[in-house]
Amino acid sequence: MLELNNVEVIYSDVILAVKGISLAVPDGKCVALLGGNGAGKSTTLKAISGIIRVEDGRVTSGNISFDGKRIDKIEPTDVVRSGIIHVMEGRRVLRHLTVEQNLQVGGHMESSGREVRKRLDEVYDRIRRLAALKDRVTGYLSGGEQQMVVIGRAMMANPKLIMIDEPSLGLAPLMIDEVFELLKQLKAGGTTLLIVEQNTRVALDIADYGYVMENGRIVLEGAAEDLRSNEDVREFYLGLDLEGERKSYRDIKHYRRRKRWLG
Amino acid sequence: MIDFINYLINGALVGLLYALIAMGFVVIYRASKVFNFAQGELVVFGGFIVWWMVASLGLPLWVGLPLAFVAAAIFGLLVERVFFSRLAGESVFAMVMVTIGLLILIRGLILVLFGPQVRSFPIIFPLQPVIIGDILIPRSLLVGGVITVIVGFGLSWFFNRTRAGLRMTAVAEDHQVALSMGISVKRSIAFAWVLGAVLSTLGAIIFLSGKSLNFLASDIGLAALPVALLAGFEAIAGVLLAGLIVGIIQGLVTAYLDPIVGGAIGTVFPFIIMLVILFIRPTGMFGWKTIERV
Repeated sequence: MLELNNVEVIYSDVILAVKGISLAVPDGKCVALLGGNGAGKSTTLKAISGIIRVEDGRVTSGNISFDGKRIDKIEPTDVVRSGIIHVMEGRRVLRHLTVEQNLQVGGHMESSGREVRKRLDEVYDRIRRLAALKDRVTGYLSGGEQQMVVIGRAMMANPKLIMIDEPSLGLAPLMIDEVFELLKQLKAGGTTLLIVEQNTRVALDIADYGYVMENGRIVLEGAAEDLRSNEDVREFYLGLDLEGERKSYRDIKHYRRRKRWLG
Repeated sequence: MIDFINYLINGALVGLLYALIAMGFVVIYRASKVFNFAQGELVVFGGFIVWWMVASLGLPLWVGLPLAFVAAAIFGLLVERVFFSRLAGESVFAMVMVTIGLLILIRGLILVLFGPQVRSFPIIFPLQPVIIGDILIPRSLLVGGVITVIVGFGLSWFFNRTRAGLRMTAVAEDHQVALSMGISVKRSIAFAWVLGAVLSTLGAIIFLSGKSLNFLASDIGLAALPVALLAGFEAIAGVLLAGLIVGIIQGLVTAYLDPIVGGAIGTVFPFIIMLVILFIRPTGMFGWKTIERV
């Protein structure tokens, strides 16, 4: 169980990016964090993994705990050790290394080379596509394949919880389906997921629970099916009107969103 | 003809020495993206440590040399802890400026610790050259060449095959990604500095054995620069080949062009090569090409 309590994040001592959010990710569930650009979704993930510190950011108040232990004060290395792995936005493969080397790096915390090998086989078994690509340099792979590599790399660490930032970013629709199919498999295998997405439709499809962020605050939360039928979510994120008709985003009155949520 | 072979072999061996020094550069660059201007000073400092252990304290070689390596390792760690770990997250440019400060600092440190005199470096490898037919090879360079090749392939294997090495390679690629996978970037950089200092000391032993020791020796750091550039800053094993190329060209140019132009072109030539590389292939022969998705 990952819990955030009134977490506030400040960059460079002045920029308040996350303004006191609370959320919970229960074991074995999938939670989606939705919202537009600059809402503070990625910052939230970075605050959890501790990566925020190398970007001159700090968790200034509130606390983050995982399985009952505080993790907002510990090193990123120890966060990973406690079972949380962060897959960053933009398919950050180690470009000059092969697929297999990428995966090996992901499994660097295993106790022995044999253990790494074992995990490697498991990952290849889960993601067949990677087995065929194992000697290819990852920098030259397609976007979808790279996304598979970073997810596989995260799996190598044998995490309890995987946080994924925008897995669908810049991928072809078919590829998005494939990536989310993989995430569904992971969830079925007992891994807890925290997904940050702009693609609300696919995210709510896999998620059990969702939070909507705007301007560093959580403005809406609820079970995925409730969110799917929520009037605001339908209008602003799914582009549908109440009857389920597709609505042009051009006709959406964004000032209404501002009034309702930000006011 | 025999002259030519002589120049060729000696050039190659000098080139391997450059390669060893260049490896120090490359190891530090890979981990921290810091271009270490003080590499030559690290070599001289390593040299002075060896001199102090072996000549000044009079320890036998088999005690003095390992101790010198340990001292160099500690010095490398200290440099990282005192200067660079504080700068984590700052711009790389700031760190590069710090290496220039480090260069001056080490020079001062040597003056304070070891005095300004020119010292005679202990004879680690016997002075009489190896003679094969008409070919004369300095023993220190020959042994050094063999050591360099072993170290080069060893490091290359380490960085590409072992788990600790792959961790460091991940750090070389992307600090943030490494961190997100739970790799301690600080520890990797510290280890790189330790490795850089130890390699520099090894280079000092091969370079200085039986020679005189003072600041001028730090020029070897500059001479190694074209080698690192030709190889590409990420390539460990590639440094060996680049060292051979630069060394042989320098040897032949010194032998055949120097008399014509009145000297010194041999010392300049590697830098001419360096400029040309920067024009046509800035990532070097084996460096990581910039992979960009379009």
